Amino acid sequence: MVRILRLFFSTLLLFCGIVSPAFSGEPQDQLRQTTDKVLAILSDPAFKSPDKAKVRRELILRTVDERFDWEEMARRSLGRHWLQRSPEEKQEFIRLFKDLLERVYMDKVEGYSWNKIIYEGEQIDGNYATVRVKVFTSKDQTIQVEYRTRKRENQWLIYDFLVEGVGVVSNYRTQFNDIIVKSSYQELIKRLKTKATQDGMDEKKK
Amino acid sequence: MKKLDTELAVGLFVLAGILCLGYLTIKLGKMEIVGPKGYELHAIFSNSGGVKEGSSVVIAGVEVGRVKNITLENYQAKIILTLPRGIQIQEDAIASIKTKGLVGEKYIEIIPGGSEKYLSPGERIRETQPSVDLEELISKLVFEKI
Repeated sequence: MVRILRLFFSTLLLFCGIVSPAFSGEPQDQLRQTTDKVLAILSDPAFKSPDKAKVRRELILRTVDERFDWEEMARRSLGRHWLQRSPEEKQEFIRLFKDLLERVYMDKVEGYSWNKIIYEGEQIDGNYATVRVKVFTSKDQTIQVEYRTRKRENQWLIYDFLVEGVGVVSNYRTQFNDIIVKSSYQELIKRLKTKATQDGMDEKKK
Repeated sequence: MKKLDTELAVGLFVLAGILCLGYLTIKLGKMEIVGPKGYELHAIFSNSGGVKEGSSVVIAGVEVGRVKNITLENYQAKIILTLPRGIQIQEDAIASIKTKGLVGEKYIEIIPGGSEKYLSPGERIRETQPSVDLEELISKLVFEKI
């Protein structure tokens, strides 16, 4: 009897062991794949030298690109002003917005010393999913990040993320709205463009 | 006869007083006698940050609705809001919990979205932002220094 019980429990344990990785569903797995790729590029000794920095950045950008739904993110950030834009204006805005985010967050990604990343779970609700991640830096600080993703052709793409409870889309939606209401959409585009050239110059100085 | 008049006057005065008191109680207590006008939406927050029933719901700084009910659902805060019928909320609108001033009372701000789809009564505002814990942020700043 004892033997049967033991056998039963060991099979049960084995079964749990096989099943548990499957509990982390698609959104989390896909996000983990992208993060792992980026981390691999960051830690690759082949890209460590300063003259390789540009190649490395390109490579990271391309990897990250696959996981982001830039159009959705730009649309959500522009909020109610999106509908009033012409298709050309929308394309231009998506491009500028993507540039802005890449400049702002690439420095952070490259500069951070990521110690450990813990995936805290996901919540799937139809075509939407939230993945919560805890990043441990080498200073033993923890950063709580929450990714909001949407399914498109079997790919869960990020359209918003929250760092320590502060959302990127909501932050930009408020800022962009302020600028458009106070002056105009053209002014916003102008500001985004000047910021891009300024940052480009800062980059060259480095 | 005259005595009756005085008594009547006092009675009416007291009655008027009671009516006024009743009106004030309802008005100040933000109670509603005839069911709430408008419709309900709900949102799920990972941290309600102490929003209470009756807290205001604000769009662009203008109070448009109130928090009707807060319950715990799957260890998250489910907040039901009532909004007037005239105000429609886009499906990509963001509901975030804010604080008046640095330590003031909590309220919910809705940042309108750009979607052509509007939420119908009873639906959920998907995009939410929890209350930011200032103490926690400060402690993180402090501990980084050490």
